[in-house]
Amino acid sequence: MAETETKNVTSRMRQRPIVRLGILLISHSILVSIICCTAGVLALLLLPVLAKNSYISENALMPGSASSMLSYQDVLEANKLVRDISSLSSKPSGVAIESRGIIAQYMSDLGAEVNYHKFHPHLNEFHPLHFFSSPGSEVIQDNFSCSLYGVNTVGIIRAPRGDGKEAIVLVTPYDSVRGGVGEALSLGIAYSVFSLLARVTWLAKDIIWLVADSQYGEYAPVTAWLRDYHTPVFGDLGSLNSEMCDNNNNIYKLKENSIQERNISYTFKRAGTMAAALVLKVAYTNEQFEDTLSIYAEASNGQMPNLDLINIVNYLAVHKQGLRVKVEKFWSLLESQWLRFLGEIFESLGKLAKSLNPDWKFGISPSDYVEGTATLASSLYYQALGVPTGCHGAFRDYQVDAITLEISPKVSFNNKDRRSDFLLLGGRLIEGVIRSVNNLLEKFHQSFFLYLLTSPGKFVSVGVYMIAFALIVAPLPVVAASLYADSNDLNTASKKDKKSSNSDELGASLKSWKWLNSAKRVFVVHLWGAIVSLLPYFISQIRDCTPTTNFLIWISLSMLILLILHQILGSPYFHVCELKPQEGEWALLKSVTISSLFIGLSLMSVINFATAEIGALLLVPISLMVHPLKHDIKARSLRSFSRVICNLVLGVISFPPATFILLKGVFEGFDGLNAGDFWNWVESLWAWNSATYLYIDAKCFDTTASEIRNL
Amino acid sequence: MESKKEENRKKTSSFWVWAIASVIFRLILIYFPKNLNLSSRPEVSTPLTSLRRLAEGYWLKQSSMSPYAGSMYHGSPLLLSLLGPLTVKRMEGQPNHLLCSLLFVLADVVSAVLIRATGRKLQTAYSRSLKLLQLDSLSKSSENLSSGDVAALVYLWNPFTIVACVGLSTSPIENLAIILSLYGACTRLPSLAAFGWVVATHLSLYPAILIIPLIFLLGYGPDAPPRKLFVQRRNGKDGDNPSSGSSCLQEELFNQSKPPLTFSWKPVVQFLFWASVWSVYVLALCSLSVKQKGGLREMFKSTFGFILTVEDLSPNMGVLWYFFAEVFDFFRNFFSIVFHMNILFMIFPLAIRLNHRPCFLAFVYITISSLLKSYPSVGDSALYLGLLGLFVFELADMQFSFFLFCGYIGVSLLSPVMHNLWIWRGTGNANFYYATAMAFACFQIVLVVESASAMLNHDRKLRKLSVAKP
Repeated sequence: MAETETKNVTSRMRQRPIVRLGILLISHSILVSIICCTAGVLALLLLPVLAKNSYISENALMPGSASSMLSYQDVLEANKLVRDISSLSSKPSGVAIESRGIIAQYMSDLGAEVNYHKFHPHLNEFHPLHFFSSPGSEVIQDNFSCSLYGVNTVGIIRAPRGDGKEAIVLVTPYDSVRGGVGEALSLGIAYSVFSLLARVTWLAKDIIWLVADSQYGEYAPVTAWLRDYHTPVFGDLGSLNSEMCDNNNNIYKLKENSIQERNISYTFKRAGTMAAALVLKVAYTNEQFEDTLSIYAEASNGQMPNLDLINIVNYLAVHKQGLRVKVEKFWSLLESQWLRFLGEIFESLGKLAKSLNPDWKFGISPSDYVEGTATLASSLYYQALGVPTGCHGAFRDYQVDAITLEISPKVSFNNKDRRSDFLLLGGRLIEGVIRSVNNLLEKFHQSFFLYLLTSPGKFVSVGVYMIAFALIVAPLPVVAASLYADSNDLNTASKKDKKSSNSDELGASLKSWKWLNSAKRVFVVHLWGAIVSLLPYFISQIRDCTPTTNFLIWISLSMLILLILHQILGSPYFHVCELKPQEGEWALLKSVTISSLFIGLSLMSVINFATAEIGALLLVPISLMVHPLKHDIKARSLRSFSRVICNLVLGVISFPPATFILLKGVFEGFDGLNAGDFWNWVESLWAWNSATYLYIDAKCFDTTASEIRNL
Repeated sequence: MESKKEENRKKTSSFWVWAIASVIFRLILIYFPKNLNLSSRPEVSTPLTSLRRLAEGYWLKQSSMSPYAGSMYHGSPLLLSLLGPLTVKRMEGQPNHLLCSLLFVLADVVSAVLIRATGRKLQTAYSRSLKLLQLDSLSKSSENLSSGDVAALVYLWNPFTIVACVGLSTSPIENLAIILSLYGACTRLPSLAAFGWVVATHLSLYPAILIIPLIFLLGYGPDAPPRKLFVQRRNGKDGDNPSSGSSCLQEELFNQSKPPLTFSWKPVVQFLFWASVWSVYVLALCSLSVKQKGGLREMFKSTFGFILTVEDLSPNMGVLWYFFAEVFDFFRNFFSIVFHMNILFMIFPLAIRLNHRPCFLAFVYITISSLLKSYPSVGDSALYLGLLGLFVFELADMQFSFFLFCGYIGVSLLSPVMHNLWIWRGTGNANFYYATAMAFACFQIVLVVESASAMLNHDRKLRKLSVAKP
């Protein structure tokens, strides 16, 4: 009777093609996984070929449709400001206050509302649970010291045609003490635009010019200002601060003496919601040929600004101002021979495809391919790292699209004649961008948020790069299902052998829940991983430790906790619903680990694609290859031996510290490496609340999980 | 015998160790309310269960306004008088809603204990009926593992339960009422069952459909194999030679502990009587507390009416908010009727098919209503997942258990991530979040379908075995 029923079941299954396909896939899981992984890697390498030319998606932007209004008059004024600022830096004392005063004076002369914003740079703290909460929700903590403070100068132009509900932000980081000519020039460019915008009639959004006091880094002043901008404090902020730090009151008094302007205030002033933010920097990078513009866009956790913002900048810079636009790339990849070879293969393939059907155009030249790959690699790397590449990252936390524009002239700054030309060039670029953004009716939403750049004018969108990821990850559920089915079959077979045994009956009767045992073990390992990832928070509380000792403490504590958990796992309280261990348990364990890895990678691909992609490249092979060492050693065949070697090598490579050291060694050479580096690196990651940090630990425990299973 | 007792004692002690550990775990979590920020998660606190809204309603009531003014509070006025004073009390240096949290922890523990007692009742009934069918081997294997313990521990350690308890939602109390009514019906206490049912219905309306399983429970007794089997068995016995000694013994056994093959009306009538008494009582209390402020009419409008018309469209785990945000206003009534009829349509077929297993029927009803209710939260899922543990033996051969487990974990992790993408990062949109809600609904459907088919398969297996045996 039972057999007829199973026959019925199988016949019913035969009728459904999708079930048959599933069974086919599961039964050939090894082949499927090899094919999928190879295809995934190939698709990743193909991405530069598949990149599309970027286009401006939002019609309202209309970049470059109006001719530039910035005149030499504005530039002359700006030049005066630059001269004033530069002349200050020769004087040793009181530079900070005076330069602030000068900037504020210039701003208020234009009719802008000016205010100072005093902030205390926060030491970056790790809050393990803050990842999912809003950026503003963190408690403003009072652990700053009163002697450390900076003062931002903020100027606001109210738009004649606006209702004060929207604003565009222009940020120029400026370190009054150490700032060089470059920073003065960036102030000059911003001032020239600002003076123009103070006059124009077409302005519909308020303009905020933030001169960020970057003596404690560029990021801190911008975050502090944004936090205060978005968290209204009822009552006077200035008085609040002065209550806390009485001894600092003198700086305000000093300023009051030097400036007798009614427009300058110390209360915090706001405009509307920010439509976009531009961070402006000038750097001298010794370019021989033309003026160049570098765009930095990566914010925290691999978030990118809307592609339209990059597109307008790129369009205006290339077509209007004749700048050479660059995005970051890995220079070391440019010389690599195998990439060039690969590019040639792809080119010939493209030619072949074109000869078959003229509509298929995906061939690009090898040099383009190599360049695209280098850019793509750096794009992936910076997104995966999750650390913003500049102070534009702070804006993204408040859903404001922001990029950093770094302009570098081809001649040195000291050339006074070229300086005005340069100011005019930069000013016109910024003016064009602001004019475009000013046209926006709603916030940026038309174009992509999820993309990878392969050149300033080319991008790979989420729909394309997800294919590569999906192909790499696809074997995981298939292998998990096949292992699960195998272990179930094995069990029913063994049950048939010894049916009489009573204890086996129970195991067999609960056979559908047998995976609980393995799930418990995997859970304990993950718990260990979570504890290990929380440990640095406590370790960093210990004062006066070198990174190396910190790292060693971390490792030893992790081992200790692993031992304790192992003991607890073995203790009798864990056996409330313990089922009898079965043969082929390792297959189930592997299946559970693979499924958890699959869930983790899919989640990560939503949070931060680049991290998930790199993680998948490292983790998928090992989790598919892994096999108990005992079995392999018992087998003593060539195949099992090579498998052992493969497993060990992969296990070492994908163990995060090892990966880090290897990569560092490849790029920078092996000398001067120490374990402390890894600690520093990890510390920088958690300081930025990077999801990658959580991920590295996820990798940490996942790798260990497989190692443990090996033994 | 001695060893068995020893084993039992060990089992009980380990159960209590785990229960206490779960309480300690909750208490630890309660001390980090700021960091966890669970009470603002849409998955945890719905407009109906949020304690923040309750505190607001209490404040309105204290300032002698209707608690339902301003569409903030939508719960029962009794809950307001019970929990309201606790929300105001603050202790220096303690988390804000400490007393409420402690109350919720207590509710969880009581629910777990009641589940355990229910499980014991069900297990004894199960093994008794297996003995009657002379399927001793099956009953022996079932004695090794107490399904009540499993269910109670699943309930206590389920992350959903913990999150609902720590996240300051009132769903632990709603769950307690439902479990109380099931327990009362299992132990044949019509007054207790009626009390639980009335309170549960008053708090969240949907448990009203549990009246059918409760009546079955009181009328037929706890879950048993299909009654036809017993009848067949008895008839077969009559056909056999009745003078045989062994069958005589069994006959006696039959007569001693006769399974209720017939529907006994007495407890059902008692239940109905008590239900009416309790509902009059609850309504009287409610009308007392809202007398000055709009009366019972307004109460019904802003509690049951709020549930049925799906007024609040803020995102939650359910599938209705998105739909009602999209639908045109003049179709609203029609679709809200359609969606709620969906639940009602499933009641009768299920009741006919599963009438011999009233507890399982209650589980299926709870799952379906938590799938289709207008403001579902993780607390509802916690309840049915806990009840699932009661049927460990019957569902031993359930298919896709691992798949479901992975799905539940994946969805419950993906949902906050999508919410983050949508609300905080702005790179996603409502569709992302709604996709996870739909996936969750799919997994719930698979769970219901698989568990019901596993249960029916189990019945088939029993029939086969009992027919095969002479």
